[in-house]
Amino acid sequence: MPIKFKKLLYVKSVRIIIDRLWRDNPIFSMCLGVCSALAVTNKVENAIAMGVGVTFVLVASSVIISFLRKLISSRIRMIIYMVTISTFVIVVDRLLKAFFPSISEAIGPYIGLIITNCLIMGRADAFAIKNEVRYSALDGLASGIGYSYTLIIISIIREVLAFGSVLGMKVTPEWWTNWVVMAMAPGAFFVLSIFLWITRNMAKIQPEK
Amino acid sequence: MKKKISMILFVLILGSILTFVLIGVNYYTKPIIEKNEAIKIKSRVMDAFGISYNIDDIEKVFSENVKIETENNVKYYFTENNEISFEITGNGLWGPITGILALKPDLETIKGITLIHQEETPGLGGRIAEKEYLSSFKDKKIIPKLEIVSPGKAIKENEVDGITGATMTSKAFEELINNQAQKYISNLKRN
Amino acid sequence: MKLQILSIFIATIFTHNIALTYLLGMCPFISLSRSLKTAWGMGLSVIFVVTLTGALNWIIYHWILVPTQSELISYIVFIIVIAASVQLLEMILEKFLPGLQVSFGIFLPLITVNCVVLAVSLFMVIRDYNFIQTVVFAFGSAVGWTLAITIVAAIKEKLSLSGDVPKGLQGAGITMVIAGIVALTFLGFAGMVAIQ
Repeated sequence: MPIKFKKLLYVKSVRIIIDRLWRDNPIFSMCLGVCSALAVTNKVENAIAMGVGVTFVLVASSVIISFLRKLISSRIRMIIYMVTISTFVIVVDRLLKAFFPSISEAIGPYIGLIITNCLIMGRADAFAIKNEVRYSALDGLASGIGYSYTLIIISIIREVLAFGSVLGMKVTPEWWTNWVVMAMAPGAFFVLSIFLWITRNMAKIQPEK
Repeated sequence: MKKKISMILFVLILGSILTFVLIGVNYYTKPIIEKNEAIKIKSRVMDAFGISYNIDDIEKVFSENVKIETENNVKYYFTENNEISFEITGNGLWGPITGILALKPDLETIKGITLIHQEETPGLGGRIAEKEYLSSFKDKKIIPKLEIVSPGKAIKENEVDGITGATMTSKAFEELINNQAQKYISNLKRN
Repeated sequence: MKLQILSIFIATIFTHNIALTYLLGMCPFISLSRSLKTAWGMGLSVIFVVTLTGALNWIIYHWILVPTQSELISYIVFIIVIAASVQLLEMILEKFLPGLQVSFGIFLPLITVNCVVLAVSLFMVIRDYNFIQTVVFAFGSAVGWTLAITIVAAIKEKLSLSGDVPKGLQGAGITMVIAGIVALTFLGFAGMVAIQ
């Protein structure tokens, strides 16, 4: 590896991005936000909407909390996190209802449940409260993207197996029989656990730096 | 003491800023959301009647072709040819199902059915919301009783094929249609 | 009426189990199902908090938020009510039942971020339940969740005695495989009762 590139790996912002996307990935490494990873991944479009929603809330709340971090006393920090997060969740909910009513109906209450998505609370308490605004924003964005791409991969597997399609477009040959249980709860558990198994093994192969 | 006051002040200020954000978003999205909901029901009513429209002129086509009338506090939609439709609701296997049932002027032949909301299993019971499936109800009789039979077995004019692998949803849907049709028709005939 | 309430109760435990069909409350499900004892402790606290906050949120939503047309902020209000009641419960336990506090203490703060609690309040609004239905729904959902986590914890305890779990699948992975199999069995209850 060229020395220049190696040096880059020690720059804080680059480190944050790489870690959140791979080694500290919210879902398969930290096991945060698993509810939505299981519940809304039966179709790719739902997973994309959920990923965008969570990323937006994550970045916005990280920025606000990091901006106010010197003013928030530790006694009331939980309630501040919750009020901030729920405000942005309501914003996402309203925007979805206004511009993507069909997706809003499909994922219904799970949008409101972004509030209790431990990923957002976790990043706020583990990172945003201690770090500068720009790093917090980056951490929020990288965690959000790490979360979204995992969701999208899982949803592609499930939608192909369950409906033979991706984003509603048929991708499987004629003889394919839809494996409907994949769209239901048991399928979610099985796909996510196998995904976890593979990615965790792969992430181990990465040399520890 | 001073610390406590500043803490409370801080919470209040943050709260009011966030409230302003919400009021702004609400002001901006409210009319769009209301319009979406109105358009949704109108478009489903027109789908049930088989009236064609473009996404941009739903309101206009609806007001030209459909009249809303209430009989004994129940809402009905009429077309010029005296076809009639109404909102049906009931329980599916997993959750409530609501939709629009349109009948021909004889009040016993189905003109069309559309669904507004359902929570059945995607790919199995959820297929009742698919246009191809719902179109198999066209021209079927609901008098004396509509029957959803095993897939491929529908012969008589009051029989419709069920969905493979979704017997329970089909049963629930059959009951819902019969119940609601009877209720709305008898209410209409009272006058 | 009585029949309907009974069917909501049965549905929330078996056919519409909040953990195994709606996939909610998974974070504590994965981290706390290590032993039967912790699973059971968390389950009991969840039953208590969910029933309490479900009832409180119903009252606040229908008596305060709807009359003042401020349903918009319902999410914020719900989560504050939940956080506050958990805090209150912790204080009451500490003061009057210190013995219980030692065994429940570690679970209580975790309940705030258990999505089952918030989900019950959101579902009750969406499904337009009345007060009694809400209480039964909240209680049933929590019992269903407890049932699911104890079944999974029991299987995991047995497995830890005998089974070789491949690396990488240990922990969260194997929990999800077990939960998937349990969810598959619960599918057999489908159609037993219908809920609104």
